[in-house]
Amino acid sequence: MKKLILLLFAIMPAIVLAQGFQVNLHGQKQIGMGHTGTGLLQDGASVLFNPGAVAMLPQNYIQAGISPLFFKSDFNPSGTTDQFRNTNKIATPFTAYAVWGPKNSRWKLGLGVYTPFGGLTDWGNEWSGKYVLESLNLKAIYIQPTVSVKLTDYLSVGGGFVYNHGDVDLTRAIPLVNSSGQTGQAELKGSGHGFGWNAGVFAKTEVGLTIGVAYRSKVNTTVKNGDAIFTVPGSLQSSFPQPNTFTTTLPLTSTSSIGLGYSPSDKWTVALDVNFTNWDVYKTLSFDYAKNTAALQDTHSPRNYKDGWSYRSGAQYKANDKLFIRAGGGYASTAVRDGYVTPEAPDANRYYFTGGLGYALTKNLDLDVSFEFEHLMSRTQTNIESQLSGTFKTNVYIPGLSLAYHW
Amino acid sequence: MKTFRSYLHIFLVTGLLGFAACKTNINTPTPSKGTADFSRYIAVGNSLTAGYADGGLYREGQLNSYPSIIAKQMQSAGGGTFTQPLFNTDQANGSGYLKLAGFNQDGTPKTEPVTSNLAVRGKITVPGFGDVTLYTKYSGELNNYGVPGIKLQHITYAPYGNLNGYFERLLPGTSPTNTTTYLDFVTAKPFTFFTDWLGNNDALLYATSGGAGDVLTDKALFTQLYNFSIGKLTATGQKGAVATIPDVTAVPYFNTITIPAILAGVQKANPAAKALYVNALVSGATYAPREATAKDLVILTFNTGLIGTPVATPAGNLPYGLTPYTPIENKYILDENEVALTRDYVTSYNTTIKTAAASKGLAIFDAYTFLNNVKANGLIVDGVNLSSNYISGGIFSLDGVHLTPRGYAIVANEFIKAINKQYGSSIPQANVSSYNGVKFP
Repeated sequence: MKKLILLLFAIMPAIVLAQGFQVNLHGQKQIGMGHTGTGLLQDGASVLFNPGAVAMLPQNYIQAGISPLFFKSDFNPSGTTDQFRNTNKIATPFTAYAVWGPKNSRWKLGLGVYTPFGGLTDWGNEWSGKYVLESLNLKAIYIQPTVSVKLTDYLSVGGGFVYNHGDVDLTRAIPLVNSSGQTGQAELKGSGHGFGWNAGVFAKTEVGLTIGVAYRSKVNTTVKNGDAIFTVPGSLQSSFPQPNTFTTTLPLTSTSSIGLGYSPSDKWTVALDVNFTNWDVYKTLSFDYAKNTAALQDTHSPRNYKDGWSYRSGAQYKANDKLFIRAGGGYASTAVRDGYVTPEAPDANRYYFTGGLGYALTKNLDLDVSFEFEHLMSRTQTNIESQLSGTFKTNVYIPGLSLAYHW
Repeated sequence: MKTFRSYLHIFLVTGLLGFAACKTNINTPTPSKGTADFSRYIAVGNSLTAGYADGGLYREGQLNSYPSIIAKQMQSAGGGTFTQPLFNTDQANGSGYLKLAGFNQDGTPKTEPVTSNLAVRGKITVPGFGDVTLYTKYSGELNNYGVPGIKLQHITYAPYGNLNGYFERLLPGTSPTNTTTYLDFVTAKPFTFFTDWLGNNDALLYATSGGAGDVLTDKALFTQLYNFSIGKLTATGQKGAVATIPDVTAVPYFNTITIPAILAGVQKANPAAKALYVNALVSGATYAPREATAKDLVILTFNTGLIGTPVATPAGNLPYGLTPYTPIENKYILDENEVALTRDYVTSYNTTIKTAAASKGLAIFDAYTFLNNVKANGLIVDGVNLSSNYISGGIFSLDGVHLTPRGYAIVANEFIKAINKQYGSSIPQANVSSYNGVKFP
């Protein structure tokens, strides 16, 4: 039976990270194992991966981690030898989890603070797509209080409430030039919030296989009265009234996951996750300006995302009582259809490899480091709306570090 | 433990620096010249070739001429240096040009002439021809032979170097002593590749004069001269690209101020006004007044304030433009029949151009089709919506005929596409978004 399960893992496709602007960096142990965790009991990150598993955690946890993300994208406009690369800016997805419950009780409480969506890209104001996008800094911070209950020794359930604080800061050039040759610019900057929930079920089987199913709901995040700042030549200022505000709603999509975990021996743990992301809800990116003029109309840019799948697998090897070695990988299908690729998320099918080390600094304190390399397949596209035509190719490098205190 | 810590340290420091340094790379093929040779490229043509814009030839326009953009892109495919007859920086405003001064209350643009730092060296009167403005001479290397105002009709005319100040400034001699024809001048020095966009003025100058101040070049003469010039440009096997003549009636110069808009303005003040009148072509050289229609094109520089002003007639003072006795003058209107005539000639010229190019295996940029398509459907390039509209369209400069740097970059790319297609070369295209449209104060 154990061999059969191992074989099963071996032939499963490798795994995934994300699509669109989803960020799946939720715990260093889990990253090391290829972002698996729905069907595992590793640590407090279960608050995110599977609230249903929280009550099964053998201990209480307080932990925090950070995964500085280096997003390296290159754009080659069609018919040219130009290469435009986004400038170095380090996004900083982070996680913090707390899990607490009385010893031997059937329930635990959890709290998660994490960044499941975001994007940080800066193409500068010299590149051929500057009228589409110069820079985007999008952040979503979810705060999720959680309750989890063990129904039997083999089955637990849990759920959480999600409050999201979102920030967006987007700049693009406006094709209006002043007498000294400077190009106009628009900046849309604001914050908003949204609500959602998380739920999960976790089961242990007699053969030692653990199974988790989890669901994170869609969180519509609305930015109201964000600042819309337009820099245009003086003679056109009245067409771009200042001050002005904008409203936009970004659907942060739901994710359904199923995961398996298995320990073929004392030293090995292997895991497998499959995730379905309901990106189909992201139809348009619209900006509704408080003050419109003939030149400044509300915008409705089609996005027409499609649902995405990701397949993740990972393994952990316990080298000794203190040291854990982890590896994993995955594959994710893109959320962006042909004709809709934009520089804000030059998305493509992607694969990734991860690795990690865990070290027990003391009986109660774990230090975990992770590293991930992610490659987005190069994609040659002409955007239907902007006619921006060319090839995007992206690599992402993500080192990460976390500390977990448990007792 | 200590070891682990030091590893961690190395991991973090080298890691963070390392990721910041690495970059993603897309492999692009090395540009190739295909079966062409771009080592000395010359540009033959008129104002569009010279980089004329905003009603004048000035340094910034020259720097953004489509031949200079093409040449810059050619360099990675074996192209040589490309020298233009630039005005000096202290005479950067060249002939002078129009700049946008702002907008009136009703949103219409106000332009004003730039008159400082000109390169005007004087004016002479050529007997039997008239006044010619002379510009500071240019001597030295030359690849861009664009001469504003030149017609195909002029390229074999020996005295032409005395009648066009833009041509005169390129020649060693001083008006009125020049005797070198344009065609001899451009072919005097060996070249390997050319672009040729001549012929626009053979139709355009008739049109912009409202059909009153110039004539359309005879079709047969056009064919004869075009074939002759192509023969000479390809005499030693040179390769090149030609462009067709745009529908000169489709430019903003004729489509910004319209009869219905003028009439609506008049009716606002005077609801009794029923129609505007124009002096329109009946046939041949016969003109007669009639009611204006939306198919009559008004030139961009027409002063609509003239409408309704009293004009002395045998029947007493009558309001300008509002009666059959006081029609809008012919020079302000390219009327429906003149439009048809102009289009007919342009179509004929273009048949000549395409036939000649095909016979020599030259690349063809069909500017006629391209610009009419832009007019009908607009054009989106790199997230910028472009159209044939005056000022807001982004392609045409303030004179409503010539292009903005962005327009010239688009044209350069169309030439490049045609060249690549014909000669199997792979000249990279220019980055249109780095070129500007009209400048606003």
